[in-house]
Amino acid sequence: MVNVLDIKVARDLWSMRLQVLSIALLVAAGVAVFVMSVSNYQALIGAMEAHYRNERFADIFVGMTRAPLSIVDRLREINGIGIVEPRVAEPVRVIREDTNLPISGRVISLPAAGQPLLNRLHLVQGRWPDPLHPEEVIINAAYAEARAVRSGETMEVVLNGRLQGFRVVGTALSPEFIFATRAAVPLPDDRNFVVVWASEDAVASAFDMRGAFNDALMTLAPGAGPQHVLEEVDRLLAPYGGTGAYGRSDQPSHRFLKDELAEQETLSIVMPSVFFGIAAFLLNVVIGRMVEAQRGQIASLKALGFANRTIAFHYFKLVTAIALLGSAIGLVVGRWFAIGVVGSYGAFFRFPSLEAQLEPWLLVAATLVSVGAANLAAASAVYRIAMLAPAEAMRPETPPALHTFSWLQAIGSQRIPLQYVIAARTILGRPVRTLLTTVGIALAIPLILFGLYWFDAIDYMIDVSFGRIERGDAFVTFTEPVSADALYELRAIPGVLEAEVQRVVPVTLRAGHRSYRTSATGLDSGSELKVLRDSALRPIAVPSDGIMLSRTIARQLDLNVGDSVTIEVLEGSRAVREVTVRRISDDILGASVTMERTALNRLMREGSVANVAALRIDPGQSDRLWSRIRSMPKIEASSVKALWFALFNETIGGMVVIGALVLLGFGMLIAIGVVYNSARIALQERAWELASLRIVGLTRREVCAVIVSELALELIVAIPAGLLIGRYLIELIASARASESFQIPAVIDRSSYAIAALLVIGAAIASFITIRRRVDKLDLVAVLKTRD
Amino acid sequence: MESSAKQPFAPVFVARGLTKVYGAGDSRVVALKDVDLDIRQGEFIILLGPSGSGKSTLLNILGGLDAPTSGTATWRDHELTGASDEQLTTYRREHVGFVFQFYNLIPSLTVEENVRLVAQIASNPMTPAEALELVGLSHRAGHFPSQLSGGEQQRVAVARAIVKRPDILLCDEPTGALDVDTGRLVLAAIAKVNAELNTTTAVITHNSAIAGMAHRVLRLSGGRIVKEEPNPRRIRAEDVTW
Repeated sequence: MVNVLDIKVARDLWSMRLQVLSIALLVAAGVAVFVMSVSNYQALIGAMEAHYRNERFADIFVGMTRAPLSIVDRLREINGIGIVEPRVAEPVRVIREDTNLPISGRVISLPAAGQPLLNRLHLVQGRWPDPLHPEEVIINAAYAEARAVRSGETMEVVLNGRLQGFRVVGTALSPEFIFATRAAVPLPDDRNFVVVWASEDAVASAFDMRGAFNDALMTLAPGAGPQHVLEEVDRLLAPYGGTGAYGRSDQPSHRFLKDELAEQETLSIVMPSVFFGIAAFLLNVVIGRMVEAQRGQIASLKALGFANRTIAFHYFKLVTAIALLGSAIGLVVGRWFAIGVVGSYGAFFRFPSLEAQLEPWLLVAATLVSVGAANLAAASAVYRIAMLAPAEAMRPETPPALHTFSWLQAIGSQRIPLQYVIAARTILGRPVRTLLTTVGIALAIPLILFGLYWFDAIDYMIDVSFGRIERGDAFVTFTEPVSADALYELRAIPGVLEAEVQRVVPVTLRAGHRSYRTSATGLDSGSELKVLRDSALRPIAVPSDGIMLSRTIARQLDLNVGDSVTIEVLEGSRAVREVTVRRISDDILGASVTMERTALNRLMREGSVANVAALRIDPGQSDRLWSRIRSMPKIEASSVKALWFALFNETIGGMVVIGALVLLGFGMLIAIGVVYNSARIALQERAWELASLRIVGLTRREVCAVIVSELALELIVAIPAGLLIGRYLIELIASARASESFQIPAVIDRSSYAIAALLVIGAAIASFITIRRRVDKLDLVAVLKTRD
Repeated sequence: MESSAKQPFAPVFVARGLTKVYGAGDSRVVALKDVDLDIRQGEFIILLGPSGSGKSTLLNILGGLDAPTSGTATWRDHELTGASDEQLTTYRREHVGFVFQFYNLIPSLTVEENVRLVAQIASNPMTPAEALELVGLSHRAGHFPSQLSGGEQQRVAVARAIVKRPDILLCDEPTGALDVDTGRLVLAAIAKVNAELNTTTAVITHNSAIAGMAHRVLRLSGGRIVKEEPNPRRIRAEDVTW
């Protein structure tokens, strides 16, 4: 026979169904955000690891001017080295009829056998080139998609100054070009960067590399440390123009990917965990009050002789049912969102396979947290009530503080309508409950702010990076350093309004045993198209001598202002110099190393040269301008800011926006649920009192005023508190998660505060309307028959 | 209080064919069946009857808390049947004072404030102090309900009911939760209001000992008035025993 208490569980759930549903949705939102985000993050990590493993991503990378293939055996002999893959890799340009913009790229030789040993290709479409047809090539899938290049198409590639036609036979993904970035462009630009894998024959003959190589990939033998190997490789390749071997952490695509994953970790792990934690707390508050509202029933059960244990178990079943319902909804919805959101990553993270994962532990953890939080609240409420003598518990709870605080009596004034006195005394007479409700509503606000914050952060970053720091409209990169006088040539091009040159060189900074591979930018003092700024966005001058480092690099190298650092230039003269750190800057745009251009020129023992130019252009003349620039042989690449915006919005922007929208949606759901529940439970607890007021002749409006003014008072405190808590949490998360290439600042726009506050107020108004409807339906007669 | 209280004259309440049915189908319960009733100005009526006899239902309809299924009920020129919620609220607010078995005081308001709550919405109230004086609780004005005994709380409820100078005082088991001595104090307060303010008063009880205080006793059973007994020799509240 079914236990009568179990029947009560079922009936209670049914009779409180709206409230049950709103609590379940609160749980569901927490669980969904958590499950979705964590499984997405795991999907990214899993996909990266699988790609690296399956395509045998190298551990060590090195470039050089030219080395004979006989060196390869000597490389293999180095202790700690596993596989060595020599190849030829060179910059190229691609000419297309449909664009004036020069498209830059890299050509990489494929061994005669086809698939290389390391950094293998994952063929997305088409086939491998036929060794008998050296004109057949594979290109990177990202470019192929961005430019809609199909197998069988020919492409015009400038190799070593000579135009050559290739036929595309396949597209592929490579672990070294998950993000295909190039100097001076802060974002991967798939439309204007191409990787061409061509036969060894074709590449070697074009670059005069027969019997030689200029690039090598290596794996570490199991258990080998990289430091020793890097040193040995550098020593061996020094006579051949080695540019310094480096590990994965300095490989551009990997470094960018790692930073992106760090951002994703904030969006996917840190914020959702805080979100879920808050949701669990709110569940605790809501369930606690729900059980307390059943005080009379608990007392009656006790009076009838039920043991505390039995009563507690009864409520365990009730709240567990609610938490399980919520978890189930959350898991299904979270999984569903995970699949959708992971789909949106595909355009940005180029992995052979990227699928939302749902690991069993995640399922169990999410469910346990929600069931645990719900039961903790229920148990403490049941315990509090069970500790009372049944007779006492059967009476409604008198605000305990009422007769101990005489100042509560003083609140009453002849002028204040008594409805408001009731509200004020109820709030102040039950400080703990008021505090919990207020904190509950307050904590719902950060959940909304978490979502809105990302939009503000993106706007801010775009404004700062593209509006205040990089103020040019476009960049051009030269194939080799040119005299700074090239500036006049550029300025003479019709449509160029302003031009400034920069010197950008790959360097390794060394301080003691620490090193950091990056590029150093030489800027002319007084430069206006690139303005360095501190975190308050005040312009800062380039030091006239010495070097300026951003904070993350300074921290990694353990450097302070005044310290000296070794700078090894990785091209040209390969100068190695000691320079003094003159300033440590904020990482607004990620890690950077900056010097005065002529100081950098002197350090490199070169004349006044530059290899990058920033331009301000007249948009009306851009077609003519670009066709002119394309015809300049020394210009390797160019990039237009307007395209970055589009790119940014399509990639990082689009991805973050989806995540933020999901976060925002669930945050709002929780906020509404908490406010509604607070109102609903307040009404439930006070139904008797409110009905009494109605009976003695107060109108519905006057009766509503009691409960509405209580909630309004709580909101007045909760909203500003919630906004402050939100700001604090976001600052905390942002400062904890600053990554090297991008730091997402803790900026929250005023409109976001307003939106968060208005959403909560809106939820409150909706709750007030339900309260009003409930007050309309109060059963006045029933109230007379019972004391509670 | 003697039977020399002001004699009732014109009927102020007129009920004809009042029927109240709760629920439908198998769960249908007939609470009132075709009840006719006249109550005169200033009259003190006691409704006696076992549980379920329909006395509370009748009182609730008279007080504008419930609507009959059929029949009519009028108070002076107010048609109570078919009145809107707003009209009933106004009726209660302006004319009716209630006293209930469970006092129904607002716990977060002091004694004086509970009384003032009603005074502030009435058109011609006495002062809360006067009302409390009438029930002998002036000295408790600043206390919260939880600091009072049951009898005192019920007297506060009486004070709250009369502060507006109601035309009708409706009391549902006012002594139901009280002991004899406390009950007497409450009854005395009700009788005093009836006598001094000429307030038409209806009291529900299933304690027939109280019946001696009324001008008229109505006995209900099975939803009908089965017996109507005028009481020419009224006794004082102090003399009620049970």
